Formats: sequence, C-alpha cells, structure tokens
Amino acid sequence: MFLKVESLKKSYKTGEISTQVLKGVGMCLDRGEVGVILGPSGSGKSTLVNIIGGIDRCDSGRVMIEGADITQHKDNQLTDYRREQVGFVFQFYNLIPNLTVGENIEVVSNISKKPLDIDSVLKAVGMLDKKFRFPRELSGGEQQRVSIARAVIKNPKLLLCDEPTGALDFSTSREILKLLQQINKDFGTTILMITHNTAISALANRVYRMRSGEIVEETINESIMSAERIEW
Amino acid sequence: MVINKKVLRTILDNKAQYIGSLVLIIISCLLFTMLNQLAINMNASSEDFRESYVQEDASFISDRRLENLEALEANFNILIEHNKVVDYSISEEVIIRVFSEGTKVNKPAVIKGEAVGENGVMLDPAFAEANKLEIGDSITLLGRSFTISGYASMPNYIYPIKEETDLLNNPNAFGIAIISKAAFDEVKQGSSFYSIRFNDSEMLEQRMAQFKDYLKSQNVSILKWTNTSENPRVTLVSTKIEGMNQASSAMPVVILLLSCVLTGIVIRKMLKRESVVIGTMYALGYRKLEIIKHYMRYPMLIALSGGIVGTILGAFTMNPMLKLMLKYFNLPLDKISYSLQYVVISVFLPIVFLGVSCYFVIWKALKSSPVELMKGGKDKGKVGFLEKGLKLNKLKFATKFKVREQLRSVPRSAFLLFGVILSTVLLLYGFAAKSSIDYMIKDSYGEVFKYQYEYVFNGLQLEAPQSGERFSVSPFELKEDAKTSFAVYGVQPDSKLIYFKDKNGNNLSTDSIIITKPLADRLELKPNDSISVTNKLDSRQYSIKVAAIAETYSSESIFMPLRQYNELLGYPSDSYLGLWSVEKLDMPADMLLRSATADDFKKAFDAAIEPMQKVIGIIAFMSFLVGLLIIYVVTSLIIEENKITVSLMKVFGYRKKEVYSLILNSSSFIVILGYALGIPALLALLKVLFASLAESTSINLPVTINYIYLVMGFFVIIFAFELSKHLSKKKLNKISMNEALKASME
Repeated sequence: MFLKVESLKKSYKTGEISTQVLKGVGMCLDRGEVGVILGPSGSGKSTLVNIIGGIDRCDSGRVMIEGADITQHKDNQLTDYRREQVGFVFQFYNLIPNLTVGENIEVVSNISKKPLDIDSVLKAVGMLDKKFRFPRELSGGEQQRVSIARAVIKNPKLLLCDEPTGALDFSTSREILKLLQQINKDFGTTILMITHNTAISALANRVYRMRSGEIVEETINESIMSAERIEW
Repeated sequence: MVINKKVLRTILDNKAQYIGSLVLIIISCLLFTMLNQLAINMNASSEDFRESYVQEDASFISDRRLENLEALEANFNILIEHNKVVDYSISEEVIIRVFSEGTKVNKPAVIKGEAVGENGVMLDPAFAEANKLEIGDSITLLGRSFTISGYASMPNYIYPIKEETDLLNNPNAFGIAIISKAAFDEVKQGSSFYSIRFNDSEMLEQRMAQFKDYLKSQNVSILKWTNTSENPRVTLVSTKIEGMNQASSAMPVVILLLSCVLTGIVIRKMLKRESVVIGTMYALGYRKLEIIKHYMRYPMLIALSGGIVGTILGAFTMNPMLKLMLKYFNLPLDKISYSLQYVVISVFLPIVFLGVSCYFVIWKALKSSPVELMKGGKDKGKVGFLEKGLKLNKLKFATKFKVREQLRSVPRSAFLLFGVILSTVLLLYGFAAKSSIDYMIKDSYGEVFKYQYEYVFNGLQLEAPQSGERFSVSPFELKEDAKTSFAVYGVQPDSKLIYFKDKNGNNLSTDSIIITKPLADRLELKPNDSISVTNKLDSRQYSIKVAAIAETYSSESIFMPLRQYNELLGYPSDSYLGLWSVEKLDMPADMLLRSATADDFKKAFDAAIEPMQKVIGIIAFMSFLVGLLIIYVVTSLIIEENKITVSLMKVFGYRKKEVYSLILNSSSFIVILGYALGIPALLALLKVLFASLAESTSINLPVTINYIYLVMGFFVIIFAFELSKHLSKKKLNKISMNEALKASME
C-alpha cells in the first residue's frame, strides 16, 4: 500500500470542551490510485487530509506513506515530506495575488529538488498563454488550473485536493476533474480528494464516506468513469 | 456604540504596529516640548541677562587711557566703563582670566554665594566645579590670596572660551574670575579695556562709527574693537538657541510626519482586514459618519495618548537639559517657566496631523459599496501598476518575490526608506560634526599654521623682535554688508610658520594677498578680484585686491605682506602687533594682550570633545532606536500582509530559513538604499547648518565625514535591521499552516 491510515484519532480542545474530530479512522490507497472522501461539513474529512498531508498532527494512530509512519516525524522531517512528496490543491486556489501565474508556480519549483518544467506543466493545464497574468486577471477555473499546476510542478507522489471544484460551476468543474484524471494518468500521481459531491466518487478507485469522525462506508470501484462523462 | 469596545482589543491584537506609531509620537512630542520650552527659557534668560546686567554693545582697547568718561557718556548717550583684565596661570595647564568687576556695564550676575567685596573673588561655576573650587575656599591670584565669595556669570562671557577663535570651552583649563576694582588696582597688573553700551540701540553701526571718529580726532588709536554681535562668547549662545528653535520645529515635525504615514498605513491595513465587518455594519444600517467616527478613534487614541505622554516627558526632561545648557553657557536663571501655548500645541499637533491624514485614509476606504466591502474590498488582490509594469522574468525567484513585496505597498516602502534616511542622518550627524571639527583642527594646526606660540601685544611694536615671526591683525567688514566680518593679517612675506596651498596643492607665497577659501566662497571672489572693506577699528574704507585663494578652513581671513598691511592702514612700516614662534618666548606679561599655544588649543579641544562624544553616543543610540522601531514596524506589517503566503509556504514545505529569507530580507535593499541616500542628505543638511554657523560665528567648518564613521554607521543600521528581523522571527513562526487552509484568497 502506498498510503495506509490506521486508528487515527484527533480531538480539539476549546477551553474545557474537547471535541473528538477523528475517532479511530482507517483507510488506504495504492500507488497511482484516486481516492475520494465524501461527507458532510464537520465529519472530519479536512482534518484527516491535513494529517495525511503533514500539516496537522494526530493524537494517536498511524499514517504510513510507503511504509514510513509520518506521525512519528519531527517538524523538519514533516517539512521535508511536504516539500518532496505532497502537492496541495485548495478549494479557493490560494494563489499569491501579487505574483504572476508563472511566479506562483515558481513558489514551489523554487524549493523542489527535481521540479518539472514550468512551461510544460502550464501547457498541460492549458495556461501557458497566461503565464504573465496576475491571479486577479483570471477566472475561477483558470485559477484552479494554476493551483493544480503549482501542486504538480514538483511531481509529487501524493496530490491532496480539498474540494477542488467546490467554488466552480459544472462545466469548469468537469474540466478540472479531467485535468486531475489526466495528471493521475500521465504522472502516476496518487490523488486523494475531499468533496461533498457524490458524483465525483465515480472517478475514484476507492471511496470513503465519513460521518462524525468515522469512516462509515468504503467502496472500491471496479470501473472508473472518465471525467468527460460525468454529470450532476 | 458597542462596537467601540473593540478599539482597544484590536490595538492589543496588533500591538507592534500601534506601539510603533505611539513611540514615534511620544519622541516627537518629547522633542517638541523639550526643545521649545528650553529655547524659551534660554531666550528669556539670555534677554534678561542682557538687560538686567547691562551687556556691552562693544568693547575696545585703545593705545592710551581715555579721559573724562562722563563727558563721553553725555555726548554719545552711552554708558562706558574702564576695566582691567589679566590672564593668570594657576598651574602649568590651568589659566584663569581675571576681570575687575563691572559696575555700570557687564555687571556680573551672582549665581550662587555673594558679590566680591574687598577680598573676595567670584568664579564661573563650570570652572569652579571642574577644578573643585568651592565657595569659602581660598585661592591665590596675581600674587595675593582671595576668598571665593560666589559663582558668577558675565554678560560678555556667557560662553567662556579662551580665544575668540575657539569652538568649545574647556572649564578644566580655562575660566574667568572677577575681583573688585580696588583689588585689581592693588595688584598693578593687567591691560585696560573699555566696555560700551549705547542707551539708544537705533542705528548702532552709525553711532559706533561716530564714536570711533571722535576717538581718532582725539588721537586715540583703537587697537582692538569687538562688537557684541560678533563676540562668539555671546553669539554662540544665540546661535545655539536659534539652532534649537530650528531643531524644535523641524525634527519633531519630520518624526510626526513619519508617524502620520505609519499610522495611515496601519489604519489602511486594518480597514482592509475589517472590510467584511465594515460591509456588514453598512448592511445593518450604520451610517458612513458613524463608521468613520468609530475608526477615527484608533488614530485619536494613539495621538492623544502619545501627545500627552510625550509632552509630560518633554516637560520633565527640559529641566535637567536646561541645567546642563546653563552650565555649558553660564547663564543665570531665576525661574523655569513653561509656555502653555507650546504645551497645548504639543498635545494637539499629533491629533491634528493624525486626524487629517487618517480621516482621508478612512474616508477613501469607505467609498466602496457594502457588497464590495463584504467581498473583501474593491482593492482585494489588486496589483499595482508598478508591479504590472515591471519585467522581472529574468530575475531569480527570490529576487522577484522580494521586489514584488516592496512594490506591493509603495507607502510602506517609502515610509521605510524615509525612516532609514532619517535614522542615518541622525546617526551620522554627530560623527560628521566630529569629523569636520577634526579636519579643521588638523588643517589649522597640522597643515597651515606651524607655530606653537602666539603672542598679541597690547600696543603696536616698533622694535625688531629678538626671535619669532612678526604679524599684525585687524578686524574688517564688507563695505556693503557690515554683517560680513573677517580678519586681515599682515604677515612676513617669507613666512616659515604659515603654509598655504591652492586647490591644486601648489604652495602659495605669503608675499601676495591670499584669501582663505571659506571667505572667498562667502564673498564669491576669484583671484584678481577686488573688494571694498571697512576697518572696524577706525571705520575707514579700503580696497583689497586678492591674488590667490588658499584651500584651508582654518578661518575667514585675508593674509597680506606685513609691509603692505602697514602701508594700507597707515601704520609705521616695520610695526607689528604680535609674534608667532615655535619656541616659547620670554615676554613681560604687562606687554601682552593675550597669548596662546597650539598645544593648549589641542588639549582644550580634546577635553572639550569628550562631552561631545557622549552627546554623539546618545544621538547615535537614539537614532538606532528610531531605526530599529521603524524597521521592526515595517517588518511586522510585511508579516501581517503575508500571513497567508507564509502559511502557504509552510504548507508547501518551505523551511524556516527559507521563509525568513524571503519575507524578512525583502526590505534589505530599501534599508541599504536608505542608508546610501542618508549620506548625501546629511551632507546637504550639514552644509546648510555650517553655513548658518559661519554667518553667525565666523567659524568655518568643512563638510566632511570620515570613512570609518560611514562604515560604523552602516553596521549600526544593519545591526538594527538584523535585530528587528530576529525579533520578528517569532511572529513568523507563530503563523500556522491553517491560515492558508481557512483563507479564500482569490
């Protein structure tokens, strides 16, 4: 298994009140697979992905990436893990407004050991002609394309997408999903996606449904739908 | 309004930025109050001293004693008093100038103790303190014992420097003493001089000229004439007060403007941050005026508290400063008064300045519609034309990032730039002043004047001296402008003790008429130009043709061959008034008006420079603090603006050092540029200040700064920058990766 999560627990304390967000979650993904986590707000999907991405820590449990337990990593090891192995795509793109498209991608390529060629990646996401534009001059879909380009420029082993189509209309969402599918195919990148949208689960090898900090259902899709055919 | 409850909470959440504005306002009001109240008290004290103790309008030395002073007083509507003075060496290193007590003109003001009486002596307090002499102690002067009856100040010796050409006094080595006229007559020593005060100060120059003409008609030759307006022992005080007046208006206003810019930037950032809140308030039915009123509370709170604290601190620091200045200048002080007008201005000036600038900022921010505001404001994510216009493609990513960071907020970068320029000017000001004085001393006593001893006689000498080089000197003024005064020297044509060089470094012979560079510059003279001048001793007019310009800052003077000098002024051809010598000469004291040695001067300079070095240190420390504060506040603004970017960088796997480098080092270029621009700004400022000093005191200082000080200054500024970066690291570390996850930036 490329990714294996075991008995993951996490709680947050607000004053005297402690809220358990993850109650012993387990899941896994093989290399090159696409995983989707479905669930309502507050079900713990973002917390789970944050811990997998190395930007949050758990109370107990294990997160194995290629056999290494990242929950045991020290801060600098986690930094190296994020730096070399994980790419992030956010719902609201999180581009730096005063950097151009090209420069936003350079933010990541600048610290990568073997980054891909910026122009090639921009071409792959269909944004090469807008390399010198600023984020404000782009549509939502275009900004998400840049965000994806920024995530894949380091050729990560794991791409974590938090509601990548949450702020987009249907046709733009479909384009973004096509792009993610293409990246999965071309680069062999393992993708884990959070979404509210059940239709997207048709694109995944494994689908996990969460509720109140627990995985309540795991589905393995025998056949994967092409993003071009997706409807909602 | 209940929303006003959040004013203090918001300020406390962003302490560094608001404290930065607050401290700048406090410094500004402290300086404003202290300097203005100081100048008022010094001015009042000086004016009071001048009037109550009958300060002379001029003093002079004549070749013989004047008869019937009462008749002169009646004829010219003046007060005139004959007095005596002698320099007495208490020890090898310490000289005390003993005066007979003025009873009509230049009456001594008793600062502590009692008047002289029969066997008493009054000393200037700085000299007494430096030499550990106390009231009641006995002191031997002029061969007899006196009891120190008190400390006093003389209206013609407010700043007790030994020579008129001295820049700084040295109470360790020189002071003044006052004994009664009767006691002076008993010791039978000293030279005579006259102090004169005109009862009507209208058309003073004309009245003086008439008086001099009258003395000439009575065959009385004036050997030395000094107008009080040109007496550095008096004028240095007015120059200092004038300087203080200029500083008291300029410096605080500059700092206040900086704090306005800073507060404006901070308020703008806050409004951007709170645009959703503002939009919601609009939507809930708040009026624009109500919202403006709420947000005006922030600058008003800062301005009012800064104004009050700064003014109180200024009032408290004025007292010790005044005492220090009075000790330095030896002015009597009856009472310390505070001008209510300046207290009010000091408290309200920041309110007005900040009120206007912040009102404009708030008014502009509230021009957006509620919907726009609720979406984060019209300018959200907007890229400035500078950022758009710049082609940075070929630069490294880190360089591009830093350049964009600075261009994102031009007011913020401009504030940092001007702040560093101001810090540099303040930091290097003292060092440059010291460099300039050092240069002048080296120039005067190292390169130009090679003599060790200078003797000035109390009358013209006709007999050839046994040793030493003869010279004469007379004060002149420009015919068209009586305020431009200078000395004309007659020197030996083959002088071995004066070496002048022209601007190309070629030696100039003293067999021709040479003018020093500061005077040539002031009079805009070139070689072979002529000037019309008036001799101050006899008020006669002459024309002098200048042959060469000497590249020296030692004085504002003209040097001509002694024979030519005597011929010009109508003195006997071989006569002279003084001697310069490398060796010490044995001169009878009663023949001398004064004597000085170059070593004395250098020692006095070294002693006097000591307190100056302390002042330079204090100014340097203050400027370091201002620099540190400004850089720290700007850095914290940059961090505040880049919270999401920093958070993102952490998510992407940037290491701490890489984040520090990109965010904290983005200002390094501006800091270095500010320092580089601060140097010419300082030199330009010094040029103006020195020109004003030269005008009021005839002391010419070259504008120069030693390279070592430039390097030191650079390290101090860089240290302030590094320290502010170090202090800011904690803030960067505190930014969590969740910031990026929560944000919806574009």
